[in-house]
Amino acid sequence: MPKAIQLQPILESLQDFYRTHQRLPAYSELQTLAGYRSKGAAAYLVKRLIEKRIVTQDESGRLIPGSALKGTRVLGSVKAGFPSPAEEELLDTLTLDEFLIRKPNATYIVKVSGDSMIEEGIKEGDLVLVERGRQAQPGDIVIAQVDGQWTMKYLEKRGGRMILRAANRKYPEIEPKGELVIGGVVIANVRKYK
Amino acid sequence: MPMSENTNKPLQITSFSRPILHLDCDAFFTSVEQALHPELRGKPVVTGKERGIVACASYEAKALGVKRPMALWEARKKLPDLICLPSDYETYSLYSRRMFSIMREFTPDVEEYSIDEAFADLSGLRRFYRTGYAQIAWKIKEAVQAQLGLTVSVGLSGTKTLAKIASKEKKPDGFTVIRGSQLHEFLPQTPLEKVCGFGPNTVAFLHKRGVTNCWDYVSRPEGWARKALGKIGAELWHELRGDCVYPLVTAEKTDYASIGKTKTFTPPSSDRDFVRAQLMRNMESAFIKLRRYRLRAKWLCIFLRNQEFKSCGAEAEFDRATSSVYEAGPLVSSLFDRVYRGGTSYRLTGIVLSKIEPDRSAQYLLFDDVPKVESFRAIDRVIDEVNELYGKHKLHLGTSLWLARHKQHVSERGDLPQRKTDLLKGETFRQRLGIPVWHVKV
Repeated sequence: MPKAIQLQPILESLQDFYRTHQRLPAYSELQTLAGYRSKGAAAYLVKRLIEKRIVTQDESGRLIPGSALKGTRVLGSVKAGFPSPAEEELLDTLTLDEFLIRKPNATYIVKVSGDSMIEEGIKEGDLVLVERGRQAQPGDIVIAQVDGQWTMKYLEKRGGRMILRAANRKYPEIEPKGELVIGGVVIANVRKYK
Repeated sequence: MPMSENTNKPLQITSFSRPILHLDCDAFFTSVEQALHPELRGKPVVTGKERGIVACASYEAKALGVKRPMALWEARKKLPDLICLPSDYETYSLYSRRMFSIMREFTPDVEEYSIDEAFADLSGLRRFYRTGYAQIAWKIKEAVQAQLGLTVSVGLSGTKTLAKIASKEKKPDGFTVIRGSQLHEFLPQTPLEKVCGFGPNTVAFLHKRGVTNCWDYVSRPEGWARKALGKIGAELWHELRGDCVYPLVTAEKTDYASIGKTKTFTPPSSDRDFVRAQLMRNMESAFIKLRRYRLRAKWLCIFLRNQEFKSCGAEAEFDRATSSVYEAGPLVSSLFDRVYRGGTSYRLTGIVLSKIEPDRSAQYLLFDDVPKVESFRAIDRVIDEVNELYGKHKLHLGTSLWLARHKQHVSERGDLPQRKTDLLKGETFRQRLGIPVWHVKV
């Protein structure tokens, strides 16, 4: 997987820069700010920032603060009256979707039908959120295919070999004889009561 | 190979001006079904059960002779073990959106070409990823495959036309790069049929003139291509030579040349009111879409298709472009009366709106009843608002009440996709979670 740009830290340093200098950085300054080695990378970042409406550009290509940046100026300035504390605090909240799901494009729902993870608190009828294409680590709960059967188990390491263990004493550990296919990693469990 | 005066250098380009990628899902609808229902993997599967035709066939089914668009009974006769599934367009659309979104993690320049195809411009990414364009294209293919759990075929070249040929070169799970330095070897092996834009008639026409492959075509002078096939001929001539003529259309599509709505019903019906209601419902749907994009149309045509798959239609033009079903309804109804033949069984109705323009300032004709037209607009606005709240077609024209007389599709059970029958707690028939459900038994 490629490195996605982490916009949040860049946004913060951009806000700092804007507060201090009352202008936006030039490409070369942005390069330093973001810790890039090339101007091309900075140009790519600018493209992303424009996409997110954090900045816009004038005809000569200089950056102009967009709505997302300007918002902070209004909040920081006392001239416009007291900033609403609620508004400022809400900038950093997550929706339930964002909280539960890390990679929206790779996340699927699996409706649980068995009791193999009951001691982990995963019951029949629960909806587990499963991320595909993620490297599974020992200790993760995984959806895996063993000898043609799909199952949900802990992935564990036993003496250099990967095994699958149920969270239910009734079931024995599974040592895959053939290939172990990990279909996805369970990242959350949703149980809706009402 | 005869080289003409303005093309007397060998066609070899060291680098393309634009690295363009074309990504095409392999047997998209059935691949989605196989990704979400692991028990279907490796088996012959088709979708389209609700329509009685093969909408998409899995590679396993294709290998056994089942093709699109074959009637389902015909496919079943050929292959009694064939698994027929109803189309689940909601899930396919979720997958489609994910595919575009994963591609946009690499580059913002993505064109959504169809539900399962996209172009991407990779210019300028080499420095960011510190690797070559082919490696970036490969990463995109792997990212899409890992996150969606299905295979895609990718082509990389210097123009959209070449990239599309490349992605079709090897399927499924293909990866083909056509470099500028290989063009002179690649084009002679490429038949004209592989070019998007050369239909069977064009190909036949070119064959008659001694042009049998793409190399022959680009070896003729540009003027020859323009004279023989017009502007498009010249554009394709450039595209095949690696000069990018067609830019990527990355903006969301909001302007339409035409808007069409068609719907099949089974079994075919000779009930006049029912068939008319089908047409009127299609008209309502088309106008809803028209209004959603704030457009209006000046021209429309309707068509009916009978049991023998023969179509007949009629067209009409308004004095003034409109976005209202109240203005279009009487016209559509009279066109229907002209086309409809009693005693014939119809299986499909459709409507196409064209001569579309932005619905900005109102323009009235001399004899228009302005208050009436304004009230139509007001009614449409209310209808759109109500349907936004309570569901599409909750508020509809009286004529579509006849739809209730027969079902859209009368056949065996299981014509609805599982997504609409196995609802999760809190989901309704109208609204479901925007996350695909993976049907593994665990």
